[in-house]
Amino acid sequence: MDIFNVYLPVAGMEFNVLLLLLIGTTVGVCGGFFGIGGAWIVTPALNIFGFPMPYAIGTDLAHMGGKSIVSTIRHGKFGNVDVRLAVSMIIGTTVGMELGASLVMYLERIGLAESVIRKIYVIFLFLIGSYVLYDYLSHVRRQRKAVKEGAPKAEYKHTLAQKLQRINIPPMIHFKTSKIRCSLWLPVLVGLVTGVVASVLGVGGGFIRMPALIYLVGCPTLVAVGTDLFEVMITGAYGAFTYGVKGRVDLLAAMYMLLGAAIGAQLGTVAVKYVRGYSIRLLFAVTIFIACASVLFKQMNLQLLSSILILTAGIVISLVIITLLIRGVMKERRTAGAKSFVSTDREVRK
Amino acid sequence: MDYRIKAGSSVRSHHFLKVVLVLLVISSLLLLPLLAYAAGGGKPATKLYNVADTRNMEPGLSKWIADIYNDNLWTFGLLVVAIMAIMGLALGYLMDRSLVLLGINLGKLDHHE
Repeated sequence: MDIFNVYLPVAGMEFNVLLLLLIGTTVGVCGGFFGIGGAWIVTPALNIFGFPMPYAIGTDLAHMGGKSIVSTIRHGKFGNVDVRLAVSMIIGTTVGMELGASLVMYLERIGLAESVIRKIYVIFLFLIGSYVLYDYLSHVRRQRKAVKEGAPKAEYKHTLAQKLQRINIPPMIHFKTSKIRCSLWLPVLVGLVTGVVASVLGVGGGFIRMPALIYLVGCPTLVAVGTDLFEVMITGAYGAFTYGVKGRVDLLAAMYMLLGAAIGAQLGTVAVKYVRGYSIRLLFAVTIFIACASVLFKQMNLQLLSSILILTAGIVISLVIITLLIRGVMKERRTAGAKSFVSTDREVRK
Repeated sequence: MDYRIKAGSSVRSHHFLKVVLVLLVISSLLLLPLLAYAAGGGKPATKLYNVADTRNMEPGLSKWIADIYNDNLWTFGLLVVAIMAIMGLALGYLMDRSLVLLGINLGKLDHHE
């Protein structure tokens, strides 16, 4: 395996290229499918294989910028990116991140930062995961009930989002791609809150923004994924620059990771075409629970176990997504084949 | 009746094989990071280098990156963003073309919940 080792000049160490490609592909698939940056996989994965933490964070942010460009362009072509909504949220997110940073400084001054933040993180992930899972299960129950009673399938209503959309504070904006009309202040405020939370918890924010876009703003799942990736692209580029200037990005490692991530991101993004929004939500809930377990292990000083769990889970989830993609493509081909057979048959009969 | 029982047991054994296969794949995947860790992993390095060591490096991409890193970190920061953006765009385009060649329809989507 030594032949695959390369010397990374900035991190000052040798690293296996295949491992970089594997990590990149895994995080690319998950990122493209869920609309998240994937720092929760990359940073611990690089760290357990010997990458010093600051370089792991910087290198992750750098490749995240490039990977999100691939996913955002593809989601954009699918009609899943609401640029207006993303820009409104970025304004709130930026302010929120600054407020969050000040809050962290305050917690550090009173000596509570480390313990409080990790506990809040676990509770937060658990609550989001539970809500998304509850929402999925109630949707399935409603669908089954509707089928049993012979009534048309009940459409899900985002009640909280609808209530929030009705708040009439000018300017009221029509977000065309998301097909929603609401006050500009709604996405700005949601961005602000998610920005504060992301900054306090020290995460990119995709984990929080994606469900917030669905349950608070009222976006369809696929638009939430695409719009969130647009934001990840901007924050990734900004993070790549700031960590680059501080000399904490190993560009060579980021380039190898991006090679894998670009392929993975494209596969993950195209996979959303073959699944329903609620299936994405179910897989997302599972992913959140795994992330939650990994933070719990970290809290119990089981760093290695936490990192291995997260990397393994990332690989398994990516394989599930790729399987869904392959099944979807095969089904599409079978349907197309059957349609062309029927039309040829009709022409022959004529 | 016998035939039915046989068919049922065959379905059950097929299901059992499927479960075993899934468990095997998951356990081997769990072993993958462990093996890689055993091969090259270890305690994270604690020393942070502020200067890239180029003494034993041959001319090429790595040396070019290391030289820029050593010369000016602002230029390095800009280079990181530029390379990631260019690579992202180029790889995205190439992957798009590849998927079209594979016959995957990449048109606009309907949003099904």
